[in-house]
Amino acid sequence: MSLAAGIARRAGRRALSSVPALFGVIVFTFLLMRVLPGDPAVFFASGPNAGQAEIQMIREQMGLDKPIPQQLLLYLKDIATGNLGRSMNTGQPVVTDLINRLPASLELTFTALLFALSLALPLGILAALKPNSLIDHGVRFLCSLGVCVPTFVSGLLLIYAFYYILGIAPDPTGRLDVFAAQPPVVTGFILIDAALAGEWESWRAAASQLVLPAATMALFVLAPLARMTRAAMLAVMTSDFVRTGEALGLSRRRVVLVYALRNALLPVITIMGIVFSTMLGANVLVEKVFSWPGVASYALDALLTSDYAPVQGFVLLMAFIFVLVNLTIDVLYGLADPRVSIE
Amino acid sequence: MKLNRRHLLAGTAAVATAPYLGGRAEAQTRAETLRYVTGAAVNTLDPTMPGSTREAFGVSVNVYDRLVSFGRKQRDGNWVFDIDNIRGEIAEKVDISPDGMTFTFHIRKNAKFHDGTPVTAADVKWSYDRAVSARSLAAAQIGTGSWTKPEQFTIVDTHTVVGKIDKPDRLALPNLCTLYAIVFNSTLVKKHVTPQDPWGQAWTKDNTAGSGAYTVESFRPGEQVILRRNDAWTGGVDGKPAPFRRIICQTIPEAATRASLIEKGDADLSIDLQPSDIDTLVQRGRVKAISTPQFNAFSMIAFNTKMPPFDNKKVRQAIAAALPYDSLFKAGLFERGAKLYGGTWSGTPNDASFPQPMPYKQDVAKAKALLTEAGFPNGFDTFFAFNLGSAAFAEPIAALVKEALAAINIRVEIQKLPDAQISTMVTERKLPFFIETSIAWLPSTDYFFRTFLYGPQRWNYSGWNDQRIADIAEKARFETDKAKYDAACKEMIAIMAEETPIVMLWQPNQDAVMPKNIDGYTYGYHRQVDFRDVKRT
Repeated sequence: MSLAAGIARRAGRRALSSVPALFGVIVFTFLLMRVLPGDPAVFFASGPNAGQAEIQMIREQMGLDKPIPQQLLLYLKDIATGNLGRSMNTGQPVVTDLINRLPASLELTFTALLFALSLALPLGILAALKPNSLIDHGVRFLCSLGVCVPTFVSGLLLIYAFYYILGIAPDPTGRLDVFAAQPPVVTGFILIDAALAGEWESWRAAASQLVLPAATMALFVLAPLARMTRAAMLAVMTSDFVRTGEALGLSRRRVVLVYALRNALLPVITIMGIVFSTMLGANVLVEKVFSWPGVASYALDALLTSDYAPVQGFVLLMAFIFVLVNLTIDVLYGLADPRVSIE
Repeated sequence: MKLNRRHLLAGTAAVATAPYLGGRAEAQTRAETLRYVTGAAVNTLDPTMPGSTREAFGVSVNVYDRLVSFGRKQRDGNWVFDIDNIRGEIAEKVDISPDGMTFTFHIRKNAKFHDGTPVTAADVKWSYDRAVSARSLAAAQIGTGSWTKPEQFTIVDTHTVVGKIDKPDRLALPNLCTLYAIVFNSTLVKKHVTPQDPWGQAWTKDNTAGSGAYTVESFRPGEQVILRRNDAWTGGVDGKPAPFRRIICQTIPEAATRASLIEKGDADLSIDLQPSDIDTLVQRGRVKAISTPQFNAFSMIAFNTKMPPFDNKKVRQAIAAALPYDSLFKAGLFERGAKLYGGTWSGTPNDASFPQPMPYKQDVAKAKALLTEAGFPNGFDTFFAFNLGSAAFAEPIAALVKEALAAINIRVEIQKLPDAQISTMVTERKLPFFIETSIAWLPSTDYFFRTFLYGPQRWNYSGWNDQRIADIAEKARFETDKAKYDAACKEMIAIMAEETPIVMLWQPNQDAVMPKNIDGYTYGYHRQVDFRDVKRT
C-alpha cells in the first residue's frame, strides 16, 4: 500500500468517526446556552419603553418562544441547510460573520505559529545540545517570561513601545490601516488577496499590522513548543542511532538536523496541533487589544450578551477545525515518520 | 523591451514619485476625514430595529433626516441639545394650532433623498405610518408623545403633512425630533417589501433610504462604518453640507488603545475613554476634553421595592442615610460629573426640574435609628449587584457600599453579573439592590417619572408602583399651564424623596476627547456624536 493511499484511508476513517462527536457538540452547546442564566430577549429589549411586549417581540424574533425540544429540532434542520441563525450583536447571519471573521483569525494564528516555530525550534535544539549551559538557562528564562506575562499585558506593552513611544508600528486597529485600499476579497486572507491583486502597498500595510499581534501570540506559545523540542531532542540525542551516526563519523550537522531532529519532531507536531487550536479560540485578549476582527472576540461579545446563535456557531466551527487539525496532524505524522502510517 | 539608460532613468523617476503622490493625496483626504473611535459597534443601519445599539443610533442620525430636530444651546460653556428649541430639518416650517393639537408641516421644496428624488408628503406619511404600525422600537417611543395610529397623519398636498393628537401633549413635537421618527424614501423601500415584511425592515437593516447629511459608503457590522458626505443636503441649520467629507466610525474595543490613537493624532474623536485617563491625557497637552454632565442621564442605587426587607420604606431610607456619597463620587467617577445628592431642600423642592440633587446625605446615627425603627436593630444579610461591563467604576463603589453598610450592621455580599444576566434578574425583580445608570431622551420631569419610577417597563428598576405618582404623572403630561405643571412635578419629586425607591447618585460626564483643532462638538440626547456639528479648524 502506498503512503498516500494509506494516509487518505486513515483520514477518511477519522473524518467519519468525528461525526458523532460533532453532533454531540451541537446538542451540548445548544442546551448549555439555554441553561445559562440571562435572557437575551431582555438584554436586547433596549427601547426607551422596553416592556413585556418588546421582550416578547424579540423572543419571537430569536425563536425563543417555542419549547426547547422544538427549538433544537429547528436548529438541527437549519444547520443541515447551512443556516446557523442570526446574530443580534451584529445583525448579520452567523454564517456570514464567521466567513468574514475566520480568515482574520486564521491569518493571525498562522503568522503567530510561524513566528513561534521559527524561534522555538532553533532555541529548543540549541538548549538540548548544550543542556544546563548559559544558552539553556537563557531559553528557559525567555519561555517562562512568555508564559507568565498575560497576552494583553505583552500586547499593550508592545503597542506602548512600538506605536506610542517609537512610532514605528502602525496604529493597532485591525487588519488594515483604515486609509489603505482594501484589496478585492478572494480568500479573505488579506496578504494573499493583496498579492493576487498585485497591490503591494496594501500587502505591506497588512503585513505591518500583523507583526505586533502575531508577536504577542508567538511569545505566549513559545514555551510549550521550545520546551517540547528540547525534551524530545534530549531523548533522541542519547539514543543508539545517534551514537551510531556519530561513531560512523557523520558530520555533527547531519546527525543533529537530519537524524535526530526528524525523530524528535513527532511530539512537537502533536503540541503544534494543540497550540494551534488553542490559539485560534483562546486568543480573544489579543484580538481585543489589537481590535482584530476575529472569531474569538466575536464569540466573547456574543457570550456576554447571551446571544445564542453566534456562540453555538462558534463552538461548532471550533469543533470542526479541531477535527481538521487532528487530521492534518495525522498526515504530518505519516510524513515525519513513515512507520506511523503502517497500521 | 530592451533596457537602456533612458528607460531606466524614467522608470526610477516614476517609482520615486509614486509613493510621494500617493502620500499627498492621502494627507488631503485625512484632513477632510473624521476618524471616530468607539468601544461599541454598529449592528444595523435601521435604528428602529429591536436590539439596535447606541452606536447604530449615532450613525442613523447622520444618515436619515427627521421633519424636525432639536436645536442646541450653551450650558456651562459647552454645546448641548435643547429640547425647547425645535428647528425644521426636512420641514422648513411647522404651524402649531392654538389648542396645541394640530401640527402642519411644510416640507422644504429642495429636500432630496440620496438617490436624487424629492422628499414628498407621501414619504413622510409612509414613514410615520411605519413608525406607529411596524413591529419596531419606534412605536413605544413616539407613543409617549401621543402618536399611536396612522390615521393621525394626513397628506394635504405634495409638500404639506398634518399631524393631529387628541390632547395637547408637551412631548408630541419633541418625539418627532428623535431618531425613531426618521423619514424614509418610501418608493425605494417599497421595492423591497414582502408579504411577511410589509415595511421592508429586513432590507433597511443593511441598506439606507434617507435624505440625511451623509450616505453610507461601507458597512462592516461590528467593525466599522464609513460615511460619505451628501453634498446635496439642505437639512442643516444654514442649509450647507456637513463640514467633513468622510467619517470613519471604527470599533476599537480597548479603551487604552483608543486613548493612544487620539493622543497620537491618528484618531479625531472618542466619547468612551476611561474616566481615570482623561485628566492625564489633558495634562500632557496634546488633546482637549469637552466634559458635559449628561443632564438627561443619572446613576442610581436602586432598591427592589418588591423584595423584603427593601419593601420597607425605613430600610431604604436607612441605607440612603448610610451611604458615603462623597467617597463614592470620588472613587467611582473621579468626580467627573454633576452631583445628584446633597440637595439642601427638605419636604418640597424649590425647582421642578428632574433629575436634581436630592436631599440625601450621610448620617450614620440617623441610619441606625431608622433601621431599628424598621425592625432590624441587628441588621440583615443581603447582596449588592453590578454589571460586569461597568466594573471599572462600579467595583470601588460596591466595596465602599459594603463597608458603609457594615457600620449599620447590614452584611453585604458583592456580586458581579454579566450583561444579559443582570438585565434578566432586574426585570424578574430578583436582585435586592444594585447600581445602574440610565438615560431618558426627552429630559422632561413627567417623562422621567413615567419611564423610571412607575409602570411595568424594564427601566422601572425599583419596581416601585405608587398610585399617587401614576395619577400625577398622567395628568401632568397633558397639562398646558406651566405653574400647574411645575407644582405637579414638585409633588412627585417630594413623594419620591420620601419613599426612596432609588437613591440618585450623580450624572456622569460625557468626556469627548479630541485633538485641539476639532471644534463644534455638541452633546446629544442620544449620547452619540452628531457628525454634522463637528469641524476641523
